[in-house]
Amino acid sequence: MIRAVLARPAWIIGAAGAAVVSVGLGFLGRRVLSHLDAVEVSGRSMIPTLRPGDRLLVETWTYGRRFPQVGEVVVAPDPRAPTRELVKRVAAVDDGRITLRGDAARSTDSRRFGSVPLAAVRARAAFRYWPLARAGLIPPAIAVPPAIAVSD
Amino acid sequence: MLTVHRLIHPTRRVSAHCDLPCGIYDPDQARIEAESCLRICEKYAASEDPNFRARCIHIKEERADLVIGHLDDLWHDYFKPVHLEKYPDLHDTFWHATKQASTVKGSLDVEEARKLLTMIDRIGEMWKATGGPEKTRVQ
Repeated sequence: MIRAVLARPAWIIGAAGAAVVSVGLGFLGRRVLSHLDAVEVSGRSMIPTLRPGDRLLVETWTYGRRFPQVGEVVVAPDPRAPTRELVKRVAAVDDGRITLRGDAARSTDSRRFGSVPLAAVRARAAFRYWPLARAGLIPPAIAVPPAIAVSD
Repeated sequence: MLTVHRLIHPTRRVSAHCDLPCGIYDPDQARIEAESCLRICEKYAASEDPNFRARCIHIKEERADLVIGHLDDLWHDYFKPVHLEKYPDLHDTFWHATKQASTVKGSLDVEEARKLLTMIDRIGEMWKATGGPEKTRVQ
């Protein structure tokens, strides 16, 4: 059934998606919308989970209520350049600090820049809405963790 | 705050880079490693010592991998879509050059290494013509 939908021309899906989204946004209150944002991924360190150009919905609701958990994909400021935001996976949470890892074998993450404070991680990557063919929830764990630490 | 406009044109970027883009891109980096490959092939051919020859093979393979890495960085990070308009063969050139670097990795033929140098020089020309030296070298 999903295959049948995906086989239709992209513009029909696009138009239907846009209609659903705009009606949906209309129903959602401002309080809900204020916890959501759309972001675009750049870079390759989260392959295979995220690819460059993927568009995601991120939400701040969850981490307003509980701590990030191991396996979740989060948005956090780069400790080396705080205006940049990183998207990485939580590898460990301890003592008020979070260790971040990319899913790809080559990734600059906590192995390079150390752990980040718990309070810095405010948004969770929840849903990929683009491209439509790979739309869906962001899996909360990767099957095969990166085996080796690579410095670049 | 999510809006339809932000959904369609997300301006917020989240970065999954595998390094901090330092903005330094120079084909000489790849060329020097490729020159090493060429010299190693010559030294291999001139030697009879099996241990020395084994080291030659090992080190040449490392250097060829470095060539591939440096070329990939140039390809993915330095060159932009506007450059593709000026050089429609840009992707092909890089594709062939990285493939040639793989060939050099597995070969002890000096001529293969020389071919790789020619290809890197072609990339160097494109880098120069797109203002690479001015844009990426520390003055």
